[in-house]
Amino acid sequence: MSTHKVEQLIIATVGFFWCFLMWFSTAAFSPSIAAHYHLNIKALGLLASSAIWMAPAGRIIAGWASDRFGAPRTFAFILLVCGAVSIASAYTASYSALFVERVIVAIAGVSFVVGIQHVAQWFDAHEIGTAEGLYAGTGNVGAGAGALLLPRIFGLNYQGAFLWLGVVAIGIAVWYLVRGQSARSSQARELVRSRSDLRGTLFVWSRYIAIALMLAYAMSFGLEISMNAWLPSYFTRGFHEAILALGFNSVAGIQIAAGTFAAVQSFTASLFRPFSGFMSDLFQRKGWTPLPFIARNLPYAPRLHWLGIALLLIVMAMAGLTVGGMTGSLHISVSVLVALGVFISFGTGGTFALVPLLFPDRPGAAAGFIGGVSTAAAIAYPLIFASGSNIHIGYAYVALFLFLPFVLFYFWAARHERHPEEHGLLTNALAFEEA
Amino acid sequence: MHTQPSAEEVQYESWYKYGVACLLLEMAISIAVCGYSLYLTFHGWGGFPGKH
Repeated sequence: MSTHKVEQLIIATVGFFWCFLMWFSTAAFSPSIAAHYHLNIKALGLLASSAIWMAPAGRIIAGWASDRFGAPRTFAFILLVCGAVSIASAYTASYSALFVERVIVAIAGVSFVVGIQHVAQWFDAHEIGTAEGLYAGTGNVGAGAGALLLPRIFGLNYQGAFLWLGVVAIGIAVWYLVRGQSARSSQARELVRSRSDLRGTLFVWSRYIAIALMLAYAMSFGLEISMNAWLPSYFTRGFHEAILALGFNSVAGIQIAAGTFAAVQSFTASLFRPFSGFMSDLFQRKGWTPLPFIARNLPYAPRLHWLGIALLLIVMAMAGLTVGGMTGSLHISVSVLVALGVFISFGTGGTFALVPLLFPDRPGAAAGFIGGVSTAAAIAYPLIFASGSNIHIGYAYVALFLFLPFVLFYFWAARHERHPEEHGLLTNALAFEEA
Repeated sequence: MHTQPSAEEVQYESWYKYGVACLLLEMAISIAVCGYSLYLTFHGWGGFPGKH
């Protein structure tokens, strides 16, 4: 079958977009579901949090499966299962059954790492940043598009939305199976498949540079999704008077204002991500290596420097968020938040412009580890944000006590001028396989 | 994944310029939507897509 890498990129991006749409579709209809089943606030919170439950472990398994069975079969399997359960959830009358079904549909979120592996198998090293950025950034928009469009198209009829989301998902799964190809060449496919054993996976997990990239993704994507959940409450409580002064007096009005301020972070973090991939390509093309300590002679050294810059910018923006909040100025805080969203996109795009280059023989296992474990951080951040004596100080705590050590570890792990992937835990035990 | 060529060897295929155009469009959409919604909200009119 004749195909082109752009066709494979489009298939992966459409599949990922739809998976993200399904992933957050439950949240988009939570008021309708709450009204239908008379849910209290505790049950509503449980339903909202359930979307993330499957991500850490699920992404690790999906990454391994895409190496083992190929991205098209793995992606199509995810779409088929999630699509079929989404259709079933449209006809469910019991809330308990609906809850379980929606947790299963939320598995769609693990598809991210499958598409990363698929794109990595098709694009050349000098264009991988832009290709992965377009895939991930455009696909991420599915979450925002769902929140924006689904309630407007379907109103309170969440059953209709779940039905059509499932039907289209099955259609995309068939398309993926028919037109998708695992890799550019059978040799590349065989190499990746042969390295997909447990020892190879443990090798990736134990590398210092993989752990550093995982922490970098926890600082960027983990922060992005935790902020999605935290920011509406932050603005409602931290800037209550300022929002009232804008003329939003009702509860609904305050929710709209706080939600809008929160959404700018999510929107910029998603839509600037392809630009970050392009910047990683540009750093590579120009050979820019401005940071101290980080390696300068590796074939992908400029990309390491671009990610280092992104991580430093995230730390500064987090400190800026605390300073902005302390001033009491809503305008300053929102401006810093826009900057934080852009810097987060630099981190997410910069990380996955590197992953396929560092682990070319195990792109799925590496993407699964880095993209999966890092999402667990999203659970920790809001707890720290809420624990401070002042609601604005939590950002500085996270920057100082978590992000700064993460950045130092990244600089330390990225300092090797030759094969940084050879440095890690249990190297001797795993080196036999590598020899 | 294929080997990294040196800076002199990099030759982008035709798809790349369309990819860059696409990412610039996405950035423009992001700036426009954020700017529009913040403008509305700071004027007390309700942020996009909500109404007040």
